[in-house]
Amino acid sequence: MGERIAFAIAAAGALGGGIAVISVRSPFRAAVAAIVALMSVALLFLLMAAPFVAAIQVIVYAGAIVVLFLFVIAYLGDRGVLGAPDRVGRWRALGIVGVLALVAQGALLLDRLELPGANDDPRPTDTIGSPEAIGHSFIDDYIVPFEATSLLLLVAAVAAVMLAKKAIQSEGGR
Amino acid sequence: MGVPLSWYLALSGCLFALGLIGVIIRRNPLLLLLAIELMLNAANVALIGFSRYWNVTDGHVFALVVMVVAASEVVVGLGLVVAVFRARIALDVDQMTSLKG
Repeated sequence: MGERIAFAIAAAGALGGGIAVISVRSPFRAAVAAIVALMSVALLFLLMAAPFVAAIQVIVYAGAIVVLFLFVIAYLGDRGVLGAPDRVGRWRALGIVGVLALVAQGALLLDRLELPGANDDPRPTDTIGSPEAIGHSFIDDYIVPFEATSLLLLVAAVAAVMLAKKAIQSEGGR
Repeated sequence: MGVPLSWYLALSGCLFALGLIGVIIRRNPLLLLLAIELMLNAANVALIGFSRYWNVTDGHVFALVVMVVAASEVVVGLGLVVAVFRARIALDVDQMTSLKG
């Protein structure tokens, strides 16, 4: 029972944070709401026997990524905060119908889900979420995706430097 | 009593739908990037949930790869936002239609 209570709290935090992210006007508040949603997802990871991923979620997502967002929002100042108006209005009715259709589709899909035991109590797990097991999985089975992510990070770093250089040149700097 | 897999899948679907709605209705690129983060997190919840259900580690590995992809995407996306801001163009994705710098 305790696990279900923790799930309810984490799910409420994730959904509430998500609704706040897409509904508040100011990017600063949206980023703070995103911290709430990401922390709740980290709690969900803990419930799903994934302590290592939960730790990385807090460090990388709620730590590094959201702080980067907050830096950029602070750098942009008023213009970034005001931004453009939302795209609701003309298509509001169509959007509501679309969202309702999507929810109905998802509910039907979950209802027809043919996985044995998907609605039962989950079985107890081995040590699947430990750093040791994840490290073994990375090195033994997924060495190519592992190297590919390092290449991706390098490309992203180079791209960020080039973009910053171009932005400085457009202002007449070196 | 534990939490069954279908609950996690339902939550993942709801979070993904929230992120999708955010991407569709928002025009500020900063808020767009935050909504994309929500969608990636929804995918991670589903991945970890299936990993728990089948008692394997593979889902954790993919969730970590998704986090790397999200970090790279945010770095490039925020770099673009700053470049657009310094070029004195309005922060509105509807007006960023030209690929040529």
